Amino acid sequence: MGSLLDDWPSYDPHNFSQLRPADSSAQSSKLTPVTYRPTHNKSLPPPDQVISSEARNILLRHFYQKSEEKFRPKRAASDHLTPEHSCKQPRCAYTDGAD
Amino acid sequence: MSVWNYVVTAHKPTNVTHSCVGNFTSPQELNLIIAKCTRIEIHLLTPHGLQPMLDVPIYGRIATLELFRPHGEPQDFLFIATERYKFCVLQWDAETSELITRAMGDVSDRIGRPTDNGQIGLIDPDCRLIGLHLYDGLFKVIPFDNKGQLKEAFNIRLEELQVLDIKFLYGCLKPTIVVLYQDNKDARHAKTYEIALKDKDFVEGPLSHTNLDNGAGILIPVPMPLGGVIIIGEETIVYCSVSAFKAIPIRPSITRAYGRVDADGSRYLLGDNAGLLHLLVITHERERVTGLKIEHLGETSVASTISYLDNAVVYIGSSYGDSQLIKLNLQPDAKGSYVEVLEKYVNLGPIVDFCVVDLERQGQGQVVTCSGAYKDGSLRIVRNGIGINEQASVELQGIKGLWSLRSSTNDPYDTFLVVSFINETRVLAMNMDDELEESEIEGFCAEAQTLFCQNAIHDQLVQVTANSVRLVSSTTRELLHEWNAPSGYSVNVATANASQVLLATGGGHLVYLEIGNGKLAEVKHVQLDYEISCLDINPSGENPNYSTLAAVGMWTDISVRIFSLPSLELLAKENLGGEIIPRSVLLCTFEGVSYLLCTLGDGHLLNFLLNLSTGELSNRKKVSLGTQPIMLRTFSSKDTTHVFAASDRPTVIYSSNKKLLYSNVNLKEVSHMCPFNSAAFPDSLAIAKEGELSIGTIDDIQKLHIRTIPLGEHARRICHQEQSRTFAICSLKNCQTSNEETEMHFVRLLDDQTFEFISTYPLDTYEYGCSIISCSFSDDNNAYYCVGTAYVLPEENEPSKGRILVFVVEDGKLQLIAEKETKGAVYSLNAFNGKLLAAINQKIQLYKWMLREDGSRELQAECGHHGHILALYVQTRGDFIVVGDLMKSISLLLYKHEEGAIEELARDYNANWMSAVEILDDDVFLGAENNYNLFTVRKNSDAATDEERGRLEVVGEYHLGEFVNRFRHGSLVMRLPDLEAGHIPTVIFGTINGVIGVVASLPHDQYVFLEKLQANLVKVIKGVGGLSHEQWRSFNNEKKTVDARNFLDGDLIESFLDLSRSRMDEIASSMGVPLEELCKRVEELTRLH
Repeated sequence: MGSLLDDWPSYDPHNFSQLRPADSSAQSSKLTPVTYRPTHNKSLPPPDQVISSEARNILLRHFYQKSEEKFRPKRAASDHLTPEHSCKQPRCAYTDGAD
Repeated sequence: MSVWNYVVTAHKPTNVTHSCVGNFTSPQELNLIIAKCTRIEIHLLTPHGLQPMLDVPIYGRIATLELFRPHGEPQDFLFIATERYKFCVLQWDAETSELITRAMGDVSDRIGRPTDNGQIGLIDPDCRLIGLHLYDGLFKVIPFDNKGQLKEAFNIRLEELQVLDIKFLYGCLKPTIVVLYQDNKDARHAKTYEIALKDKDFVEGPLSHTNLDNGAGILIPVPMPLGGVIIIGEETIVYCSVSAFKAIPIRPSITRAYGRVDADGSRYLLGDNAGLLHLLVITHERERVTGLKIEHLGETSVASTISYLDNAVVYIGSSYGDSQLIKLNLQPDAKGSYVEVLEKYVNLGPIVDFCVVDLERQGQGQVVTCSGAYKDGSLRIVRNGIGINEQASVELQGIKGLWSLRSSTNDPYDTFLVVSFINETRVLAMNMDDELEESEIEGFCAEAQTLFCQNAIHDQLVQVTANSVRLVSSTTRELLHEWNAPSGYSVNVATANASQVLLATGGGHLVYLEIGNGKLAEVKHVQLDYEISCLDINPSGENPNYSTLAAVGMWTDISVRIFSLPSLELLAKENLGGEIIPRSVLLCTFEGVSYLLCTLGDGHLLNFLLNLSTGELSNRKKVSLGTQPIMLRTFSSKDTTHVFAASDRPTVIYSSNKKLLYSNVNLKEVSHMCPFNSAAFPDSLAIAKEGELSIGTIDDIQKLHIRTIPLGEHARRICHQEQSRTFAICSLKNCQTSNEETEMHFVRLLDDQTFEFISTYPLDTYEYGCSIISCSFSDDNNAYYCVGTAYVLPEENEPSKGRILVFVVEDGKLQLIAEKETKGAVYSLNAFNGKLLAAINQKIQLYKWMLREDGSRELQAECGHHGHILALYVQTRGDFIVVGDLMKSISLLLYKHEEGAIEELARDYNANWMSAVEILDDDVFLGAENNYNLFTVRKNSDAATDEERGRLEVVGEYHLGEFVNRFRHGSLVMRLPDLEAGHIPTVIFGTINGVIGVVASLPHDQYVFLEKLQANLVKVIKGVGGLSHEQWRSFNNEKKTVDARNFLDGDLIESFLDLSRSRMDEIASSMGVPLEELCKRVEELTRLH
C-alpha cells in the first residue's frame, strides 16, 4: 500500500506547507473573496469571437454534401487513420461553411 | 398589493458542482477554480492553504467548467458553458486583476431534445475543438483555428441517443471522442469516433467495447504515453486501449466523481455516493499497462468533484455536505484512514425544508434548515447579525457611561469597569474570585458623573467630570494633578486618548490638554461659534497614543469639523444638513482606510473618508441604523478593530474588502458599550441595557452565522412547536446490511436549545414522512404534531396509501394520539380553521378533530376537492386555499363553511411544474417551478366575466436560476416598526444549492425607483463572459422565454455599493438623485437580509 501512496505530485513544495488542520469542530472562519463586478469593456468579447451555430440544418447539410459527392470522382475507400489524410481532406467545396 | 417584488440572496450558493486546477492567474501560480452553480470562485494555492481571490457571479447555471491551455499561451483559459446554452472563454489579466472575455456565444439549436442525463462539455487535449453534447443525437463542435480563435459551431449526428458520458482520448492524430451510452435494451457500451472537422462528421474510431457493467457511468481518458480510457462501473472497473484490456471487480458502489493525481495518469482518486474515497492505480511497465489496483483511502463528504491540488492535498467539492480540503497521509490513522480533513467549507445545500423561529425570543427570526443528504444530512441554524453571549449581568439603573481601565499600561487585562450615573461614578473591579464587585479609585471623583475616562501613559488614569480633569496614578490610585474648568463654565463633553484630552465647555470653548508624567498641561484653547455636541481624538494615525486630528460635532449649524492637534486649527468643515444634531463622532481606521463616523440624534450614521494628513473629508455616505441617538465605540475582536454603535438597534460596523458593512447585534436596545477584557471574561464587552449591566462575549464578526447540527441521516421536513419548545423532523437513514441497502424513516423530536434527539417514532417499512406541522384544533388547547406519510412500494407508480399521525409531546416524548389512514401520499398538511387540511395525491381533504364518546379524539373527513394531478404544496389564508400542483401550476380554492365544501375559484392555466408556493397577500400568490423560475399570479375577483374570474393572472415572472424547495414568511433580521424597511413584507426561500434568499414585496414607488436603478446598473456592470443580465433573468421554460417583469434582481442592485465612487456618481447623476440618497436607499435594502 505504501508504494501506491508515495510520491504525491508536487508543483510547488511550499504549497500547503504552513497549513495546519483546523479544529474539526470549529468551522474555520475564512476570508470572503471579493465579489467581482466588471465595469470594463473587456468583459465583452471581441466582435469576431461571438460564436453562433451554423445556420444550415444538419439534415440539409447532409443532402448538400451528398449532392456534391455525386459530381466528384468517387473517393477510394480511404483509411482515415493514415496520417497523410489527417491534415488535408480531398474535398473542398464545403469547408468552413459561413466563415 | 405584493406584485412588485425584490429578490435578493441572503446566503450564496454553497453546493460545489465543478472544480478544476491550473495556472489561471499567472503562469507560475496554481489555482483551484470551483463552480457553485451560478458562481465561480478563484482560489490561489499558497503555503497557508487555499487563499480565496475572487467570487465571480455568472449569469447562468454552470453546466461545464474546464481549464485549457491554447497553443502558445503561457497560462490557462477558463471555458464555461451554461445550462441555457451560452458559453464563454475567460482569461485572467494579471495587470488589472480582471477577467477578459476571449470568446462567447450561443450554442442552442432551434430544434432539439435536451439531453436527459445533463449537458456534457469537453475540450480536446490538443485544443483543436470544444465538444458539447446538449441535445439527444447531436454532438456540437466549436473548432479552434490555428491561431486559437474559435470558429462557427456545427452539429454532428450522434447515433447514440442515451449518452452517459463523453471524453476526448489523448494522443490521437485526429480529435477522437469516446462515448459511453446505453442502448434501447438498457445495455451499456463504449465506442469511439474520430471527428473529421472538414467533413463535419464522425468516422468510426479505434476502440469499441460492448456490454459493459450495467452501472458503467464515468469515463476517464488516460494521458499519453499510456493512452486509452478507464470505464468506471458499479461492480467493475475496466481499462481499455488499442493494445490492452484490463478489468478488476470492485465492491459494489456508485462512483460520483474522480480526480486525476499524476500528470501521466497512473493514479486517480474516486469518490462514491457513500463518501468513500478510493485510489485507482494503473500499473504499467515500459508504457505497457499491466493491471489495475484499487485501494480504500478513507471517508470524506459525498464528493461531486475531486481536484488533486498539490503535495498530497486534495479538494473535495460536495453537493450533499460540506466541501473539504483533505490531506492524503502516508500512514493510516487509528481508524485505518489515510484521509485527514484540513478544512471544511460550509454547504447548506440541498435545503429540502426549513422553518423560521425566534429561539432566543428577541424578535429576530432564525432559519433552521434541513440540509445535506444521506450521511451528510444536518440541521443548520442560520442567524443574521452578531450574537452577544451573555456571561454575567447585574441590575443597574440609569447608566450614563461605561469605561474599562487597566491597572497599569502593560497589564494585558482590564481591571476596572467605571460606570457613570447622573450624580455619581461607581467603580467595579474583578476580585480574586473573578467576580465583579464594587471598588474604588481614590483619586477619582465619585460624586459626579464621569464624562470620560481613559488609561494614560506613565501608568496614569484620566477622569473628566463637569468640573475638572483628574490625573490619577494607576498604581497608587491617588490624584496626581487636576485641571479645573474656568469658574462659571462646566465641561459638557470630553474625550481623551493615552496622551491627550480634548474637552468642550459651554459657550463653544474647546480646550486641549496634554498628559505628561504627573502633569496635565493646557496646550490650546479656542472658542467656536456654537456649542459643541460631541468630539473625538481616537488616534487613527501611526502613533497609537497620539492623534494629530480632532473631530468636533456642532450644535446650531449642524456640522462636523476637523481640527489639527495641538494647534486646534480648523482643517475641514462638513455641514451635515437637516436639523438633527450630531451625537457621536469617531475617527477610526479599518483595513488601512481612515474614516470619520458621525451619528445623528435620529439614528442616522454618516461616514466619510478621512485624509489623515490634510483632515479632508470625502465620499460622504449616510445610513439609517435605528431611530434613537447612537453612541459609537471601537472594540477589537480577533485582532481587528470594529465599531459598536449603541442605540435602539445596536449594530457592529466593520470592514470587509475595504467596504463598510453593518451587522445587527442580537440585543434589543443598548445605551452604552465598552470593551472589557478581563481574565475571567476574556475578549468581552460590557453593555448597558435598559436597567441592566451585562458582560458578554461577541460572535465572530460576520453577517450570517451558521451552526451545524450533524444528524448522520437525511432530514426532509422540519417544524417547530413553541409550546413544547421542540422541533420535530421527518428523516430517513440509509442502512447498509450485509449486501442490501435499506432505508428507515423516522419522526424525531429534538430539544430546541440543545438540538438533541429526545424522542423517536419509527415509521413502518416503506413508509416515508412527507409533511409535518404543529397545530391545534378547535375546542382543544393542546398543541399537536401532525405527520403525513406515504407508503412508497417498489411496485407502485404513485403511493396508494398513507397515514396522518397525530402526536402530542408529553414528558419530552412523542405520544401517538390518533392516526388516520389515507388513500395516498400526504404531501402537505395545514392547520385550517381549527381543522386539518391535507393534500393527498390528487385531492385536498379537510379533517375535523372529533371527540369520541370514550373521550379520545379522532380525525374525521369533512370534505374535499378533487382535480389535481398531484397536490404537492398547499398554503392557506382565512378560508382560501392555494394549491401548487405537480404540473398544473397554482390553483385557488375556497372553503365554504355553510355548505361544508371546498370549491375551486380560479387557476393558472399554464403548465408549470411546481416546487413551492406561498401566499403574499389576499390577491397575490408566489410560485417556484422546476425550470428555476419564480412567478406571481393574481386573483381577478373584480373581473367582469366568470371566465376571467376563474383565471389567475400571471403578473410577475423571473428566472431565479435556483430550485426553490420551500417558501416561508418571515425575516432574518430584527424588524423595527419605525424604519421604512420594517414595513416591507418578506418571504424567505431555501434552495437545492444552499441559497437562502428573500422575496420582499415593495411599495410601487420604491419598485419604480429601483427598477430605474437596475436599468442603469445593467449598463455599468457587465456580465462576466459577456453574458446578458436581461437574458439570464428572463423567465424560461420548455415552452416560452419572456422578459422578467415585476421582479427585481436585488443582488445586482445591492452591488451598486461595490462600485467605485466615479461609477456611483455616474449612476446617481443619470438617475437625477443625489448620491447620498441613493446610497442610503440601497444600504437600507441590504438590511432586509
